[in-house]
Parts: sequence; C-alpha cells; structure tokens
Amino acid sequence: MKARTETFWFWLFAGPAVVGFLIFAFIPMLWSLYLSLCRYDVIHPPEFIGLSNYFYLLRNDPAFWPSVKVTAVFALVNVPASLVSALAVAILLNQKVFLQGAFRTVFFLPSILPAAASTAVFVFIFDPDNGLLNSLLAGVGITGPAWLTSSEWALPTLILISLWGFGSAMLIFLGSLQGISQELNEAAAIDGAGTWSRFRNVTLPQISPVIFFNLVMGVIGALKVFDLAFAFGAAQGKEPGGPARATLFYVLNLYDKGFNYFHMGLASAMAWLLFIVVVALTVFNFWAAKKWVHYNN
Amino acid sequence: MDIGDAFVRSSKRGKPLQTVSRAHSRIARYGNSHALHGIDPFWKGAMILRMSLPWRSLLLYSLPLLAAAGFWHAAFPIAREDQDSTKTQITWLAQISSERDAQLQLVKDFERENPDISVRVLWVPPNQYQVKLKTLLAAGLVPDVFNTGDIWLAYMLPFLKDLTEFTERDADDMDLEDFYPDVRNEMFKGGKCFYVPVSMNVSLLYYNEKLFEDRGVEPPTADWTWSDYIDAGQKLTGMNAEDRQVWGSTITGGWWGEWLILVRQAGGEIFSEDGRRCLLDTPEAIEGLTFYADKMLSQKISPPAGRGPSTGFASGLYAMSLGGHASSWITYNQVPGLDWNVQVLPAGPAGREGGEVALAAYGMASTSKHPEAAWRFIKFLTSPDAMERTGGTGLPVRQSVAAKTLLAPERKSHPRDAGIVYEQLKFSRTIPRLPDFIEVTMQIIQPEIDLLLEGRQSPEEAARRATASANAFLDTLAVETKGDSR
Amino acid sequence: MHRRHPIATLFIYLTLVVGAMVMLFPLAWMVLTSLKTFPEVLQDPPAFLPTEVQWTNYGEVFTGFKFHRFLLNSMFVTAMSLGGTILSCCTAAYAFAFLRFRYRSLIFGLLLSSMMLPGQVTVIPMFKLFVTLGWVDTFLPLVIPSWLGTNVFAIFLLRQFFLTIPFSYIEAARLDGASEWRILWSLVVPMSWPIVVTVSLFTFLGSWNDLFGPLIYLHSEELYTLPIGLLYFISQSSAMQGGAGNTPWHLVMALATVMVLPIIAIFFLVQKQFIAGLAQGGAKG
Repeated sequence: MKARTETFWFWLFAGPAVVGFLIFAFIPMLWSLYLSLCRYDVIHPPEFIGLSNYFYLLRNDPAFWPSVKVTAVFALVNVPASLVSALAVAILLNQKVFLQGAFRTVFFLPSILPAAASTAVFVFIFDPDNGLLNSLLAGVGITGPAWLTSSEWALPTLILISLWGFGSAMLIFLGSLQGISQELNEAAAIDGAGTWSRFRNVTLPQISPVIFFNLVMGVIGALKVFDLAFAFGAAQGKEPGGPARATLFYVLNLYDKGFNYFHMGLASAMAWLLFIVVVALTVFNFWAAKKWVHYNN
Repeated sequence: MDIGDAFVRSSKRGKPLQTVSRAHSRIARYGNSHALHGIDPFWKGAMILRMSLPWRSLLLYSLPLLAAAGFWHAAFPIAREDQDSTKTQITWLAQISSERDAQLQLVKDFERENPDISVRVLWVPPNQYQVKLKTLLAAGLVPDVFNTGDIWLAYMLPFLKDLTEFTERDADDMDLEDFYPDVRNEMFKGGKCFYVPVSMNVSLLYYNEKLFEDRGVEPPTADWTWSDYIDAGQKLTGMNAEDRQVWGSTITGGWWGEWLILVRQAGGEIFSEDGRRCLLDTPEAIEGLTFYADKMLSQKISPPAGRGPSTGFASGLYAMSLGGHASSWITYNQVPGLDWNVQVLPAGPAGREGGEVALAAYGMASTSKHPEAAWRFIKFLTSPDAMERTGGTGLPVRQSVAAKTLLAPERKSHPRDAGIVYEQLKFSRTIPRLPDFIEVTMQIIQPEIDLLLEGRQSPEEAARRATASANAFLDTLAVETKGDSR
Repeated sequence: MHRRHPIATLFIYLTLVVGAMVMLFPLAWMVLTSLKTFPEVLQDPPAFLPTEVQWTNYGEVFTGFKFHRFLLNSMFVTAMSLGGTILSCCTAAYAFAFLRFRYRSLIFGLLLSSMMLPGQVTVIPMFKLFVTLGWVDTFLPLVIPSWLGTNVFAIFLLRQFFLTIPFSYIEAARLDGASEWRILWSLVVPMSWPIVVTVSLFTFLGSWNDLFGPLIYLHSEELYTLPIGLLYFISQSSAMQGGAGNTPWHLVMALATVMVLPIIAIFFLVQKQFIAGLAQGGAKG
C-alpha cells in the first residue's frame, strides 16, 4: 500500500481517538498544570500564584501526607493480595470442575455490584456492635474491633473489602491460562516435573506478560482509588475519609479540595503530583519487567 | 479469490496450517468468507476508486452519530424547553426532605395565585446540595431561589442578592415583627438581609423520661450545670431490665455539633472575631474539649468512639443527648414507647451561653433574571401559612406559627416542654460567619477531635495541632485572603 | 490427561465452594433484604431470612419514583457509549496495530499516558468545555467522549490482541483489494471476538454503573440514570422517614437488585461467548 494512502487511513482510523485525546486529556492536562499554579475557585477567574499550592501541600496541609500514607499502604497490600487471589482462583477455575461457568460468574459478580448496594451490605457486616462479623466473633468469645469506625481498623477493613473486587483481574488471568500451550506442560510432565515445578517453570513464564499487565493496571488503579472510601462514608452517613483521616485516600483528598471546597488550584497540584508518581512507578514497572516477564516472540 | 484462500496461501510462509484453517472457519462462522467477489457493483466500483472508500467509511462512521442525535431529540425533550413562553420561569433548587409533597403543593398554590410565573423545581438530596449548587454556579446555571442559612451564608455571599430593599419595602406585608427577635437579629446582622429564614434548629438537652424514671433519677432542670449532667449520667449508665447496656448520654462525633457548644460554654471560641485566627488552644477552649472527651474516656457515661447503638437516642438506650437536631423529632416520635422530653442545656463554667442555633432560609441568586418573581416566591414560601404546612424538618421561626403548631395546647406528641426551645434560643449563637468555616472545621480540626475521642491524644495536643493547622490554612488559603472584596 | 488425585479434587471443590459463598454473600444479602419488611430490616440482631417474602417492595419501587424513565435513560446512555467505544476504539486499535505512520508509537505512547491521569484532573476543564457548548443537563457529555476513543484502556486491549494476528493475513487481504475498513470489520474484529466481547462488557459495566458523570452533568430529574436515581431514592426515602439514620434498606435493596439483574443476565449471555473466545485465543499463544 502506498505510504500516502496508509497515512490517510491512519488518520481516518486513529483521528477520532487523537482528537478525543487532545480535547479530553491533553488540553485539560495542560490547563490543569496551569491551574496548579493558580488560586482558582471555579467561579472567579484564576489568579497566578506560582508554586504556592505545591508548597502548601508539601509543608502545611495537614491532610496531604496522611492521604499519601493511606494510599501507599492500600496499594502495597491490595495489589499483591488481589493479584495472588485472582491468580489462585483463576487456576482453580481453569481445572475441569462441575458448574465451571457458574463458579466463574459467582467470582466475577461482586466486582459489578453497584457501590451503593454492596457498601450497605459491608457496613452491616462490619458494624461494631450489631454487625454480623462481631456477632460471630462474640460467639467464640472474642470482642471484635470497631472496624470501620476505628481509626486503627478502618483502613485494614477497607482493604479487606476491596479484595471482593478481584473479578476482572481473575477473568484476564483465566483467559491467559486457557491460552497457554498444553504441549509444553505435558512435555514437562513426561519429563517428570511435579505440579509446583510445572507451574513455576512452565505456566508462570507463559502468563508473566498478563501478570505484568494486571500489576501495572492494579498499581495505577490502587493509587487512583476513590469510590471505595467515598461510598463507605456515604453509607455510614458520615464525612468520607474518617475517622481521623484513616481512610482519606489521596484522590478522595483531591476530590474534597476540588469539589467540596473548590480549591481547584490545590486539587490540580495534587493531581500533577500523583501523575508524576504514577508515571514513575509505571516506568519502574516496565524496567523491572525486563527481569521477569517473558514474551514469546 | 476468496479471502480464506488468501490466508491459506499466505500461511505457506511457515504458519501452522491448523491455525489458518481455524481462522478461516472462524471467519466463515461470522459470515464474511464470501467476502469480495460476487458482491454488488457499488462495492466493486468503490474498490477500484480506492480514494472514494474512506469517504464511505466516514459516512458509515457518522451515520450512527446522526441516528443517535435524532433519536435523542425525539425521545428526550429536555424539560426546560417545553416551558410556556408567556410565563416568567424561575428555578428553585430544593432540598429533598420529608416535606417534599407539601412543598410541591405549595408550588402549585403559588402558581395558581401567580398565573404569570411558573416554578421549575430541581430536587437535590441534602448531602449533595452544596456540591450541586456550586456545580450549577460554575456552569452559570444559577437557580433563582435556593436554600441557604447561616451555615453557608458566608460562603454564599458573593452569589446572594441583597434583599434589604425588598424586605424594607414589604416589611408589613411579610409581617417581619412576627419572627422571633433573635431570629430577626440574625437575619439583619450587619444591617443587610441576604436570606429569609423558614425554620431553625436549636441545640437542646434531650432526655429519655422512661430511663430516668426506671432508675429513680430526677429529670434535668433549667438550673443544671455540667456536673449535674455527669452525675445523672453516671447513675443512668448500666444494664436495663432486658440486660442491655444503657448509656447516660450520647456523644456526638464526626462534626462540631457537640464539642463547639462545650467549648463556648467553657468560655472559649473557635475563631477570632475577624475570622483570621483559630482560638481552640486557649485554656477555656481546652477545658471544653476536656469535658467533651472525659464524658466518654473517664466518666464513661457515653460508649467508646464508634460504638454504641447506631440509631443513637432513638434506640431508647441513651438517657440523654446533648445538642441533637430538630429534624430527628419525626424519627423519635415514630419509635413506639420512646418517651422523651427536652430541657435547656446545662450551664458550663462560663455560664449558660453557647448553644448553637442554625437557621434554614431561602436566598436569591445575585444573577437572577427575574428578581421580582423570585422575591414573590420567597415571600410566599416564608409566609405563616406556608411555614405551617411545611414545618416538619425544623422549629418555627415565626411566633404565630409556633403558637399554632409547636406551642399549641392541644399538641399531643413529644416533647411535652416544647416551649424550652425558645428559652434556649436566648442563650444560643450561630456559628461564626467565616466563608471557610465548614472546611476548616471538618477537614482540619475534626480529624484531631477524632483522635482525641479514641484516647490517642490529649485535649491539649488535639487543640494545639488543630490550631496550628487551621492557622496555616487561614494564612494561605482562606477565602478572605484571596484578595477580592467579599 | 492425568487423573487428579481425589484429595486435590476435594481441596479444589472445598476452596471453590467456600470462596463462592463468601463472594455471593453481599448479593444474597441484598436480595434477601429486598424481600423483608421495614421493621425486619431494623431488627437487632438482624435475621438472615425474611419471615414472609415481601414482593410488594418491588411494586413500591416501580411505582414510587420515575423508575421507567431512569431505566430508559440508563439504557440509552449505555447503548450509545458502547456503540461509540467499539467503533472508535476498534478503528484506533487497528491503526496503531497495522497502519504504519511515522509518529505512530509516539502518538500511542501519549494516548497510553492519559490512562495514568487521575480522572478528577480533567473533570473541571471538561466541565468548563461542556458549559461553553451548552451541553450541561443533556446526555451529550456522557456519550460524546466515548465516540472519540477516550477509552484508552479499550484501545490498548484491542491493539494487544490485534497484534497476535499474523500481519500476513492483513497483507493478503490488501492484495485481494479489501479496504482497511473492510479488513477491520470482516477479518480483524471477527478474529478478535473474545477481546471485543471483553471490552464491550467492561464498557457496559462502566457506563451502567457510572455515578460521577451523571452527578455533575445531569440536573433535571427526567434525565437521571439508574445509579443517580438510586442515590436520590435512598436520600428521599430516608428523608421521608425523618433523618438519615432510617434508610429504608428493603426498598433500596429492591431497587439495587433490579439494577444488577440486567448486568448478571448480560454476563451470563456473553459468558459462553466470552469463555469460548478465550479458549480460541489459545491458538494465538
């Protein structure tokens, strides 16, 4: 095909996406970079104030570092835990089991329930005095913690709840497991490799690109998590993020500043700091991937 | 040649045949294998004139869009477009409450009385109200009439129309004298009027008569002090006949509702007069915070942080509640066997002064295109008749309305001593007029209070840390330092 | 194939059944609560099963607010977003996979970087844009972006899958005189059916459950979608009870059940296709 024609087709096919990118991502990004250097309350015109927003965040804002910590802890626990449980369930569901399709659906379901409904259920489960969990614990003589209403336990509880949502990562693993070559596996079995050895040396390398993909998406998702804490605040009839900022995720803090109190400049500065961290982590992931991800070609 | 054949041919460059035939059969399954020959002349012509193909694609691409636009216009006419052009339309951003049906009826009555005006009502849940209002402000879609009140007044000032002129003109018509004097003072604070109050909440001492009776404790009196409250609370805390834990008092966490009262009754204040300094670290304020935390931590008349029956005073397992909210009265009165009453707040070290009064009110957008129509509507909503019909969520602010509802001798429901409300009103104050009050209090001070209640820091530490952070905020971010003339 | 050891089988089933029970609990609780009376919901400690099944809760939900309208709105918004995403993302993915252009990798890299952007950053500039266009309080802000390939994740997934198709197929089709448009829809998309189904499913879910978009763009009740309708329903019905402590969870859960049912149904329907497609993907290695 002639290069000119190919270019033409390229623009015809990718054009809308490029236009969409410019309108809905690139220009807003540049605009928010400018806003991060401004005082801006949405109603009055932005007023340029240099790096003050960044200085305020890093030095004065009492909520900034706590929200960084909450998000970091969440990402460090949630990402590996979800990856492992998603992979484990995917491996089990890749076996020939009775009612395979039904099991797959069941494990995927929690990730698609509307937040308003599922949070209500979890609030009931984790209620400190009348909740299901503490009633069960009381039955065996343990006084359960106050879960979501305690600043020590609120974050661990949310992390636990977030594990219900591993469904989509599991489906992606399941797809890749079905795609791996059975011949290699059987050849290894004939060579006398045990189950673990086959998993470690045949299966894992083959699905490593998918593990990598889920890892990158998981990290990005964990750093951007917002709905979880927001919905739980609402379901308990409380200001999201509490108690004592124990569940104040970074993006929730950003949302509060931007949309509850209309400090758009501050919110934009927070967004840019987050963006830089996410890019850095993703670059790191890609660099580290060279050591353990195996691509067939 | 068939596309499938092309695959088979190309596959000879080393691709396993099985894959190709599988791809082939897959294509066959999706009905495209008859691909390129024997099809209509348009296609063939299009293929010869290669450059014409993109335009065809372009057309294909845009067709669904066009169809969508058409379908959308046909199926979803936007409500505000089918308004009657002979009428002046005003928009009311209304808060969803138990009064929704009554308020809708009011709108109908207003439209009947004022045939030249139509009212478009946008209903918003209470917890979304501020975000919605600000989003609309940002979009330039400002509603003509919206809910305000002393809490949001300072923030909303730039968008509120000064109603002083209207209230002066229509003072008799509105019967301004009918409003309680304390309410009227608040409404005209600083000589200007930005809203017309419709109802209020006054913080009170709520108590459960049955629990007091069961334990043989004398009910609260008007001359109670903090220590009387603690003494009674300790006598009332314990197991009831059904072996369930009863607590002497609730403790209100998560917002300023209770601790601000106590700070003020101890002689402290949250912000300086000019709103530029946080004063929570003064010895008086710390005394208030100490009393607040001690109720739970050392006197143990309230359950530990985050525990206790989640339905609060309505559960019937709390003997007292300090502060409270009038919007809960409906709930309390729905609970069978909950015999409750109210008393003025117990006096603190600095006296009785310091309870909170919060006014719910209607304001008008400074950008309203129909100020006269909007004013007529506000006047209608705050008339004695309208207030009487929609009073469920708050306490009456007009004497004539109170006489017919809350203070009516034939009134049967709790609380028996409803007149206490207006006794307490005399000792009550609104929160400071500071545009960032809610942000500073909820985002900066409250997390320190949370830790105080969990016993993880002392009142002094909480006060010191909250004050330092709040001052850093007031120095850099506060609306007043933004340089425009609000 | 090797036979599984019976203990291994037992272990697998035990894990799956216990796991499934844990995973199903929220859904089961939701459905059971939707069949209780209000006093039963408030009962302390709560009972797991309703004493008498209250189907009337569903009737109350259907008649209590503009449910039909919200359902229709949700269907419309979701269908339009789905159509737009599939069309614009398939074409874009094809371009990034098979059409050579000098700055292709650069453009693709830029597109991917927008995935790392927290959505909240772009909300304000986009909101200002839609205000300028006069699109606030219409469906356009919820639908139009999807027609312009803003679902970069979908483009990425599709492109990765497209790349597993041998380029020789494309060349052969070109030699046969097929246009790029036709190659995409008659060859590449059918061969990539599993990923198209996956992307459709994710897009459907994202749009169907979207709360934030409708919350800031839709202001008229006639335009509400189901998630925002649910939120308003909770708020209104608890306000009717006088205060937030008394949410009528039995009605809320009935509404939530109605909202989830289409999702479950659609997942069941495409699941067969989905799994079959994933299995076919095996040939690609």
